[in-house]
Amino acid sequence: MSTLLTSRIMTDVFGGITSGAVIALVALCLVIVWKSTNVLNFAQGAMGMFATFVGMNLVFHDTNYWLCLVLSVATGLVVGGLTERVLIRPLYGKPEINPIVVMVGFLGLLEALVPAIWASSFNTVPSPFSQVYFQSHGNTVLLSPFVLYQIALALGVMLVVALLFQYTTLGLKMRAAALAPEVSRLLGVRVNRLLTLGWMLSSGIGALAGVIVSTGHTLDATNLDGIFVSAFIAAAVGGLESPLGAVIGGLLIGLAQQFILNYWSANLAPLAGVIVLLISLAIKPQGIFTRTVTRRV
Amino acid sequence: MIRVERLSVVYGAVRALTDVSFGAPAGRITAVLGANGAGKTTLLRTISGLVKPTSGAIFCDETSLLGLATENIARLGIGHVPEGRGVIAEFTVEENLRLGILASRANVSEGLARQFALFPVLGERRKQYASTLSGGERQMLAMARALIAKPSVLLLDEPSLGLAPQVTAEMMRTISELCASENLTVVLVEQNAKSALRIAHDAVVLHLGTVIASGSASEVADNSDLRRYYLGLVTP
Amino acid sequence: MKWLTTLRDARPTTSRALGITLLTLLALLITFRLSALDDAKLASGAAIAIVVVGLSWLIGWSGQVSLGNSGFMAVGAYVTAIWANHHATTPIFVTLLLATGCGALSGLVLALPSTRLRGPYLAGMTLAFSFAVVPLALNFPSVTGASSGLTLNFLNAPSWFAGLFTGPQATVNANAQWSADVAIVVAAVAFFFMANLFHSRTGRAMRLIRDNDVAAELTGVNLPRTRTLAFVISAAYAGLGGSLLTLLNGSVTPQTYSIALSILLLTLMVLGGIGTLSGAVLGGLIYSYSDNLVSLVNKVTGVNPASTFGANLKGIVFGALLILTMLLAPRGLVGLGSQLVRLFAQLRNRT
Repeated sequence: MSTLLTSRIMTDVFGGITSGAVIALVALCLVIVWKSTNVLNFAQGAMGMFATFVGMNLVFHDTNYWLCLVLSVATGLVVGGLTERVLIRPLYGKPEINPIVVMVGFLGLLEALVPAIWASSFNTVPSPFSQVYFQSHGNTVLLSPFVLYQIALALGVMLVVALLFQYTTLGLKMRAAALAPEVSRLLGVRVNRLLTLGWMLSSGIGALAGVIVSTGHTLDATNLDGIFVSAFIAAAVGGLESPLGAVIGGLLIGLAQQFILNYWSANLAPLAGVIVLLISLAIKPQGIFTRTVTRRV
Repeated sequence: MIRVERLSVVYGAVRALTDVSFGAPAGRITAVLGANGAGKTTLLRTISGLVKPTSGAIFCDETSLLGLATENIARLGIGHVPEGRGVIAEFTVEENLRLGILASRANVSEGLARQFALFPVLGERRKQYASTLSGGERQMLAMARALIAKPSVLLLDEPSLGLAPQVTAEMMRTISELCASENLTVVLVEQNAKSALRIAHDAVVLHLGTVIASGSASEVADNSDLRRYYLGLVTP
Repeated sequence: MKWLTTLRDARPTTSRALGITLLTLLALLITFRLSALDDAKLASGAAIAIVVVGLSWLIGWSGQVSLGNSGFMAVGAYVTAIWANHHATTPIFVTLLLATGCGALSGLVLALPSTRLRGPYLAGMTLAFSFAVVPLALNFPSVTGASSGLTLNFLNAPSWFAGLFTGPQATVNANAQWSADVAIVVAAVAFFFMANLFHSRTGRAMRLIRDNDVAAELTGVNLPRTRTLAFVISAAYAGLGGSLLTLLNGSVTPQTYSIALSILLLTLMVLGGIGTLSGAVLGGLIYSYSDNLVSLVNKVTGVNPASTFGANLKGIVFGALLILTMLLAPRGLVGLGSQLVRLFAQLRNRT
């Protein structure tokens, strides 16, 4: 057992799960926004990092880590809501390339705005937990209290989101608004508010993803770029419609990239993602995890 | 009660409704009849605020519905069962019903119990996905979902569409009973004039977006010209 | 003037060739009046305009979005640099054609599975591709020269052309102008083909697909094949543009072809006007003079260009312009221009 924990394979598994959990979290955000508003949010990562900067930058001014985390998430919620209201709402019913182009523009804007406002200081956000790896019989297990915190936070948020959508009336309304907006409105559901809420939720979670990857790391506007791309691949492999598919896809991509990175080359990990996507789309273009609902009339 | 006054709807170059006026009093069933493309569905969609009228007025009791958002019209107690039923296939029977009651402040479990008493088959299938229901069961679910919010007005769009004759008859009887027991205002849009006129108190006939006849259901049913040319009913 | 419209209707291809030739000659004449710096700006603008017109064709005519054109540019650029270093005597146009072909090929590989899908998937897939390009180049240092990239010989003016220049800076001026003229001619040829493509059977099929893919399929258009073709042509244009840019710069570095370039290309295309040749020309010109544009913004807003805010101003300005254009004037400068013309005509008719 102890040799297994310190083996190279397990080391990769732990590393893969850590990055995979964050990828899964961002992929989940993409699916939430896609299902409710049919927009692929290219600025998901950039919005998350913007919110992370607003909150976590205060860590360097002696503010409590947890307060900064809450502030980041709160900023994420506000940014998401504003984005939907100002940038996305005017584009409902327009050709599908319009929101894509606008969100790409927002991505470019935010990634320039963040370093413009907060000049890169290359400061490391201190971790609230020890980053010293556990030892087992003199060998290192690639797990530390900090790594466990990252994994637990990501998985915990996913669990909360799942419970929200599956077991609360708010979740029921959000799912209905995404599946059948017109019918929902006929039943008195305030669909527009729920669309805004969906964007707020995904942007808030995005901010949390930003905090997770930036803790114990330098704060940089592009911290979520690679994760966003991997998350898109994870979500697309799952068909963009399936939250569970996105989460499983995210964890698998994280693991795959970790193995490629360790056994082959870090530079080839992004390409591996593209190849996985190409193959999965060639085999099952509608997504591996998309259930085809057959209607009986 | 629903009152529509000189309502006109224009889609681009197409006049879907022109100067349509009629009243649907409480406790009575008002059938809106006419061929495909007569503007029946557009009329209901305009009452529910899904389509913006070019001119005219719509009142529910004394409240003007003009300019209100669809969800707020629904919250005034106007239930709309859309064409094709609008049941959410990916939801279970119970989830569909819960969605119906959210906007009203009615008690959820009491509402569910009431609908399951009215439509026992829905109670048997409460955990089943709506996609597994038959056409008649879906229609019941759509009705129950509208009724669970205790509406004062029920707008029904082609409830008999695609149903077997016995199921249609059953459905019409249920509508009739509900209208009497709950003092509902029912606006029943039907292409199937025969079964609609059997339960309706009043009838409005639409042709190419205008009202060509209105009156009591028996008057309309007895007018042989209407029967032959607009309702597709052959006089015996 | 009547014979002009007659010619346009009877011989569309000839008249397009004639029009583009005249405009090209005019542009070449202008380069004689420009400084070496302006020539260099114009040259890279022409290379970018080629990529922009390819993207414009893809987005404006087939309704597909690509964020991978910086990646296809990189393919063209590296092919050019590697080939030029091994076969120094190859004529420019052969190198350019080779790079175009390689760009098209890489586009084909990416397009085959993804063009069956709708907009967002393709956009995301191409984004993932352009994200993989820089690390890929870094991974094979012996071929690509890693982060320092590759260098190759500059485009030097032939002696007959250099002979036209005198004075202290004769060689510099001659080379700069030669580069600009080569770039303009290459762009003109590329634009000529695109102009014909717009009006071809394929072009019309594209429009149909963009507006209503179901209807297009019913009228017998092969959807996946037409979409793939559109994507491959766009990638070919990106390969050509990347190749030309490499020849002009005399070097290639991986960082040039990051996602930021894809975003910039999209911005230039939208600013100019989606789906139009003149929009792509405007996009190229905006690229040429983007630094001037940014320093103008600097001057107007009083932002210190040396501050961190000033250093990031370009990204902020272009990002904001892209969003605002898409929300307020989605047909870009060309659309605004034709609106102005229509307004003017209305005013004149009234008086």
